[in-house]
Amino acid sequence: MEPETANSLEEPAGAAESFYSRALPRISRFMFAVSVIGSAAAWVVYGWRVAAGFACGAAIAYLNFHWLKRAVNALADAVTQTGQRQSSKGIVLRFLLRYVLMGLGAYVILTVSPASLSGLFAGLFVPVGAIACEAAYEVYVTVARGL
Amino acid sequence: MRKLSYVFMALSAMCFAVPAFAQGAAAGTTNWVAITAGFSMAIASAVCGLAQAKATAAAAEGLARNPAARPGIQLALILGLALIESLALYTLVIIFAKVK
Repeated sequence: MEPETANSLEEPAGAAESFYSRALPRISRFMFAVSVIGSAAAWVVYGWRVAAGFACGAAIAYLNFHWLKRAVNALADAVTQTGQRQSSKGIVLRFLLRYVLMGLGAYVILTVSPASLSGLFAGLFVPVGAIACEAAYEVYVTVARGL
Repeated sequence: MRKLSYVFMALSAMCFAVPAFAQGAAAGTTNWVAITAGFSMAIASAVCGLAQAKATAAAAEGLARNPAARPGIQLALILGLALIESLALYTLVIIFAKVK
C-alpha cells in the first residue's frame, strides 16, 4: 500500500517539476508571439515606422533576455562549480555589454527615425508581456490540471 | 570618519551659501522637468542596481547552500532580474514622454 501512495504523490510532483522547468523556453516562445502580434497591431494602428521601431525594440529585448539567461547560467556554474569554468571578469563584461548594445540600438533608431522611438520603447517591454502571459498560463494550468 | 567630516563640511557650506549671489528670476525660467527627470533616472537606476545586486547575492547564496535547487533559483533569478530591469525602463519611458 505504501509504495502506491508514494508513487501517486511522486507523479504529480514530477509532472509539476517538468512543467515548471519548461518555463524559460515557453517565455521565449511567448516573446516571439507578442513581438509578432504587437508589430502587426502597431502597423495597422500607427503605420510602418512605429511597427519597425517595435520590431527593433522586441529584437533588442529578446537578445537582452537571451544574454541575461546566459549570464545567470554562467553565474550558477561558477557558484556550484559545475559545467564549463568561465572567468568572472568575462561574465561581468558580458552582463554590462548588454546595456551598451541596448543603448547603441536606441541611439541608432533615434538618429535614423525619431518617429519610431515610441515603438522601440514599447518593444523593449516584450519580456514583461511574455512573463505576464507565462504567469497567466501557469495559473490556468494550475487551476485546470491541479499541478 | 574623515570622509564623513568632509561630507558634513560640504553640507554646512551649502547651508551658508549667500542668497545674494543666487540667479534672479528675471534671468530665465528653470526647466524643472529636465532636472527632476535627471534625478528620477538616477534614483531609479541606483535602486534597480541595488535590487539586482541583492537578488543576485541571495540567489548565489541559495545556490551555494543547496545546489540541487538550481533550476528553481535560476528561473526565479532570471525573471526577477528581467522585471527589475523593466522598472528602470518604465522611468526612462516616462522621462522621454515628459521631456521633449
